[in-house]
Formats: sequence, C-alpha cells, structure tokens
Amino acid sequence: MSWRALLPIALALAACGGAGEGGRGGDASDPLPRVAAGQPVTYPSRDYVERAPGRPGGTLRVVAARDNGTLDAQLLADTNTKWLGRTTFDNLVYLDERGRPTPWLARSWTVSPDGRTYTFTLREDVTFSDGERFDAAAVKANLDRIRDPATRTAMTTAYIAPYATGRVVAPFVFEARLSEPYAPFLDVLAQSWFGMVSPRQIREAPGTIATRPIGTGPFTVERYVRNQVLTLAKRRDYHWAPDVIRHSGPAYLDRIEIATVPEGLARYTALASGERDFTTDAPAANAAAIRADPGLVLRSRINLGNPLRGISFNVEKPPFDDVRVRQALARAVDREGLARSAGLGEYIPTTGFLSASTRYYDAAATRDLGYDPAAAARLLDAAGWTGRAADGIRTRNGRRLEATVLTTDASPLGFVVIGLQADFRRIGVDLRLEPIPLAQFAQHRTANDYQATGAGYWHTNTPDGLYIVYHGQQINRGGYTGQNITRLDDPRLNALLAAARRGGDEATLARLYAQAQRRLAELVPAIPVLENSTLVAYRREVHGLVFDTSHNTPLFTTVWLEGPGA
Amino acid sequence: MRFVRIILWRLLAGVGVLWAAASITFVAMNVTGGDTAIAILGGPEALPTAEIVAQVRAEYGLDQPLPVQYARYIGRLATGDLGESYRLRVPVAGAIAEQAGATVRLALAAGALALLIAVVVASLTAGRETPARAAVSGAELVLTAMPTFVLGLLLLFLLSFQLRLLPVAGEGGAALVLPVGTLALPLAATMAQVLRQELDAILEQPFILAARTRGLGEAAVRYGHALRHALVPLVTLFGHMFGFLLGGAIITETLFARQGIGRLMADATAATDIPMVVGITLLVAASYVIVNLVVDLLTAAIDPRGATA
Repeated sequence: MSWRALLPIALALAACGGAGEGGRGGDASDPLPRVAAGQPVTYPSRDYVERAPGRPGGTLRVVAARDNGTLDAQLLADTNTKWLGRTTFDNLVYLDERGRPTPWLARSWTVSPDGRTYTFTLREDVTFSDGERFDAAAVKANLDRIRDPATRTAMTTAYIAPYATGRVVAPFVFEARLSEPYAPFLDVLAQSWFGMVSPRQIREAPGTIATRPIGTGPFTVERYVRNQVLTLAKRRDYHWAPDVIRHSGPAYLDRIEIATVPEGLARYTALASGERDFTTDAPAANAAAIRADPGLVLRSRINLGNPLRGISFNVEKPPFDDVRVRQALARAVDREGLARSAGLGEYIPTTGFLSASTRYYDAAATRDLGYDPAAAARLLDAAGWTGRAADGIRTRNGRRLEATVLTTDASPLGFVVIGLQADFRRIGVDLRLEPIPLAQFAQHRTANDYQATGAGYWHTNTPDGLYIVYHGQQINRGGYTGQNITRLDDPRLNALLAAARRGGDEATLARLYAQAQRRLAELVPAIPVLENSTLVAYRREVHGLVFDTSHNTPLFTTVWLEGPGA
Repeated sequence: MRFVRIILWRLLAGVGVLWAAASITFVAMNVTGGDTAIAILGGPEALPTAEIVAQVRAEYGLDQPLPVQYARYIGRLATGDLGESYRLRVPVAGAIAEQAGATVRLALAAGALALLIAVVVASLTAGRETPARAAVSGAELVLTAMPTFVLGLLLLFLLSFQLRLLPVAGEGGAALVLPVGTLALPLAATMAQVLRQELDAILEQPFILAARTRGLGEAAVRYGHALRHALVPLVTLFGHMFGFLLGGAIITETLFARQGIGRLMADATAATDIPMVVGITLLVAASYVIVNLVVDLLTAAIDPRGATA
C-alpha cells in the first residue's frame, strides 16, 4: 500500500459521522443503586419475561469489551460466554426468576430418591442448525464430551464431576447417573457454558466448534473474524425459547453484529455517536453520561454467584491465621466509600459471601461485617496487637502487623485492593501490594506461598459457588487444583456445604445455606466488598431486552429494533 | 558478489537470532511462567479436575525434565511446527496468518504516511530559520515524547468523540485513519527531526552551492540533490523504527479494536499462551532480520561509496 491508498480513506470521511435518529418511549435507565450494604436485591419479574411481542427485522450492532477467541462455550471459563453462549446454544434447563430450574430443551425430569439418577424427558421438536435432531443421544454426546478428560475443559468438567454415565432410555428420554447426590446438577446445566452442541459436529469436526459452533440456539454464526467482528443470523425455524421468558417463535432481530472494542471510552463513543446500538460492557466511568443522554439507556444488574472479594486471606499464614485479625480487617473496610470512588456510584457495596441476586442469599448473615473502625480496633487490641511503631503501624512483641497481598498485573480490579490498603492503614495495618503476572499467581497458589490475594470472584448461578470457593476439599493440595485460595478447612462449614450439595427441599437448603453464610461471617476467610455488576447500555431504539436468569446478562432472543432496516 | 555476501551473512545471523529468541522465551516462560498445565487450561480462572491436569501434563510432556522439554521444543520449532495455541486451541501458524495481514496493512500505511510527512515537513523547513520551523520542531518534540496510548486516546477523544468524524471500530477504510495516524505521527516526528538535521548539514555543502550557481531552482536543489543524500540515515533509522511500529501496533490495535498480531500478542501474554507468544516472537525476530537485511541492501544501493569495500 502506498500513501495514495490513503486518499479514498480521506474521501470516505465525508460519508461517516451520521448519528442515529432519536426515538420515543422505550426503556428508562435503571436508577442509581442505593448505596447501602446488606440489603437484599430483587429485580422486577418484568426483567425476565417478554412484556409484549416485538417487531421483527433489523440488525443490532453490538459492541463488547472482549473476544474470547473461541466460541466453544464448553471449553472456556470466560465470563463473556454468559451472554454470548445464549445466542447460539440452548440448554436442558433454564432457571426461573427465583433461581429454580424450569424446562427448556428438557420438558420435564425426575430425580431418584437417592439423588443419583436424573431422568430427563426431552422436547421432540428441536433441531440443530445442521439439521441434526436434538434427542437423548445428543445430550449424551454433549455430557460425555464435557466429561472426557481429553476434551480439556477449563471448568465445565469440574461442574459435572459427579456425572458418571449417561443412558439413552428412549429416543427422547435421557438418564444421567451420578456417583454421588449432587443437587446443583440442574442449576449447573442451566449455565451458558453447558449449551448443547450438534452431536455430528462433536463427532466429526470438534475443532470447528471454536469458530463455527452449531447449536439449537436462536442465532447461528454467519461470520467470525477473531478480534474483529462476529455476525449472528436469526434462525427462522426457532420456536423453543425457555417457557420462563414467554417468547414464542424465532428471535426478532435478523442479525446481531458484534464488534470487540476493549477501550471503555471507545465503546461509549460508539454508542453515543450512534455507530453502535448496544454495549454489553458499559464503562462505569461513562455511566453518568449515559444516564444523562436522552438517547441512551443504562441497565445495571448484579451477577449471580460470589460477589467481588477485596482480599482473600490465606488462613494458614500469619497474621491471617488469627480469626480476630480477619474479623477486624473486614470491619475496617469503608465499602460505601470504595463503591463511590471506584464505581462512581454504579457499584453496590456488600458484606455478603453470596451475591444478593443468588438463590438463598441471606442478607442478615453478614450484617455484622459492616464498616466499624472502633470495633476493628478493639478486635486487634484483643488479638494482642497493642503496640505502635513510629509510623503508626500496630506491633505485637516487636513484630509489625503487616502482610503482602498478591495481585495480578492484568487485573482490572486493582483499584479495590488499593482502597483496602488505605482503609487498613487507618487502623494500623500495613498491607503491601505485589502485582505479579497471572501465571506466577498460579504458581504461588500451587506452592501455598502467599499471605493473601487481591480481588477475585467466582461467577456461577448456584449458591453451591460457596462450596467451590470455601470448602476444604477445594484447596490446592497434592496436585489438586481448586478455587479455595483461602485454604479455609472448617469442619462445620464443610459439613453444611456438603449437606447442601447432597440436596433437600427448599426449606432445608435455605437453612443450610443461611447457616453456611453465618459461619463464613464468623470465619471471614475473605472480605467481600462490592457486588459484581453487569452494566449494559443501549440506544432508545432498542426494545424488549430481557435478562438471563442464570447470569443476569442480556438475552437477545426478545430484543427488537424500532424502525428496523433504518 | 557484495550483495550475495551481505545476504548470506545476514541469513546465518538470522538463524542465530531466531534460536536465541526461542531459547530466551523458553527460559523466561519457565522461570516466570508458573504452572504450565494450569496455563493451558485457562489460568487461575480455571477449575480443572485432577484427571484433566494429569492428562495435560502427559500430553504436553510437562512431566519430563526441563532439558528434555527444551530439546523437544527446539526440535519441533526447527521443523517449522509452531504447535497449538493453549487459549484458542488452533494451530499457532494459522492464527498468526489469519491476523498478520491486518498488522502489515496498518504498519505499511503508518510507515508510508510517516515517510511522506517527514520528507515534506523536513524539506520545507530545513535550512531556514522561520517561525514555522520553530512550531514544527516543537510539535515534533511533543509527538516523540508522548506515549502511543496517550496520543491514541487524544485522537480518539477529539476526532471520534468530540467531532464525530471517525468511527471507533469497523472494517472500512475510515476505521484505519485513527490507528494509522496514532502510529504514524510519532514516527514522522522522529524521522523529520533526523532528516531536517541531515538536510541542514547538506544544504551547507559546496556541491549544493555549485548546484545553485548553475542556476538550479530551490525545489530542484532541495528535492533533487539534497534529499537523496539525506536519505541514507533515514533508511537506517527506518530499520530501527520498525520495532516502534510493532510495539505501537500492540497498543493501537487494542485501543482501536483492530485485529492483528499486536492484539494477538497482548492476549497471548495475558493468558500465558506460550506457543502463541513463541510463535509471534519468532515472527517478529524474523521480520527484524529481514528488515535489517533490506536496510543494508538499500543503504548499499543508495550510497555507492562502500562499493569497493
């Protein structure tokens, strides 16, 4: 290319810059979240169901923050998959707005009294976009693929680890045998990472799932240029949306064109100028501007699973082996200040170990972990940290109350740890930050060579996320890689979480998870600080947005455009 | 003969450079890389079962001693096999090939634009003490000192956000303007500085005076005589600036949401995708070798003084 090739570019400038037309009516922005920790959060049910039929047609131009690099949802642990997976794949079950499993591709199911056999009766009118029939053999092909160690999934195998064998009982009856009772099984099957892939593709060309996945979803992949654009086209014969959202027939949009723009300001600019209609990742820094723009709508939803932890202690290493120190630090964090400074009012403070939108979240359990510097000081005094060094840091027997927290240099959540550092210093605790590469982080974890780790979270759609993050069995030990980086191994908590995992009726599970959350509030293996929020923004011409019940991320099946084709 | 010798010598050195790059990357990744099996499975966000971790260790030979791993690694690379990306699960060579075109287009456009700006600006301002020269020099100083991402954000804010002249993303030509500009401006500034200095000196030379006394016009003197002599250091500089272009590509591609090698490298590094990092490192090292070879040949062609050496 020579400099002459730039001339057409300069000429093309004249053709750009046209903004979208102003729309009337439609959605309003959600109000700024109330900045008060410990309140249960419920969303109106209209968030989860289609209120009125929409107008078919048009292309929704979406801008997302990142590209997974692969569209094979079953292999990855990427958070992007939460909304992206729903476009091309469908699942066996879908949660209702209270987090209970409801029918989707499975019409109904029974669980044996011992909790080890799940028998699914499937819909008989579902096909994959390559023409393959969705049936019991297809379910078996998918679960077996996820279960096979050779598939090398990042996470999904662990989620269905108790799944031992599958059996095709009848063409549309599938039986899953578990090695142990595992109540979260149905919740897990509703997650976007468990979308059903065409058995023919699994059999004949599993490598192509990454770029041309074939599912039963409302959209199919038309074009994918990694890190540039993903174009999805409507599947016209789709008519099996989950009952819960009360949508019949195919999606309204003809196409979804997704561009990947990592820079927040650029995403906001693309939206504000009308270059794009929708962003799945609205930058908090521009949220106020989006709210103020009459042409734009901002929606904010708390993700399910575990909220953002400011710090996770290694409870085996001093000074955090002393529960009083951990309790003191939890009470020293000014979460509301943190939410204001870090999220400009868009983030929601929390003391909970489950996110407020997760089933069996108990707001009362962790109420005592709120900001109380005086109580924090009393706890540190009681723990013997009564001396003071020249710089105001507490001492005990001549040793300073200090610790190093590992953070990853790539983490966008670094701001949280910096906020904690300032809060801790105020009560005489010296927290040093050590940013290291992500891979080294894993090495420290494996070697149990750290005092504490910085910001972390675990997305899931089930309160069983507590088991994954805090159960003693999930500690890195003897080659096992788990997510319990706190190394908490409390027999009482283990028993409660294991009992909840075995299952029971709603009342039993509510009691077990409430007790587990109270036990966590006593043990404080980590300090939850903020809810993980999904901020989405779109132009007023966009209507019909429904939030997915498993992830609280956008579901595009019901979205439609005012004046399509405009 | 001389050209053949340059080429042979450079190619030999090039093989050494590639071997060194591969070895350094291997050592660096194994010293700082942490648990490779976990990296393969998606890093700290992963929750693999013990079975899967064991599977990965066996499949990738991670249970072997490091020297064995190194020998296998170099052997594989020597046969041209770059392996499979941990993160994308596709052959590295294919993933790079898919993204390389975008980066080459970006770099070529930026290089060409920078050269054009530098030649025009330097020729117009060299050998003259005018206010315009002072202003241009000031602007050059600011542009060379400004980090690429700051310049990129400024241009994005000004041209896309404030003036709404250019799109922030897309595949059309208009979407190329901001990234090309962001890459080209600092490069143009540096090249203009060097070129002007060179021209200043050349315009004082007796042969320029001779040309003027022969009655040649100002334009003919500047573009016909002086510029040709000033090009030698510029070509050498261009070889060095190639590295700037590649480094800048990582930032501009991410900032302006373009596909390309830079973005691929940034993602691969963040995810400890070792085969991809190695593949791109080798590609970059190889391009350095080739660019410097071309620079040497060009220098020899432009400046015939070394012809008998």
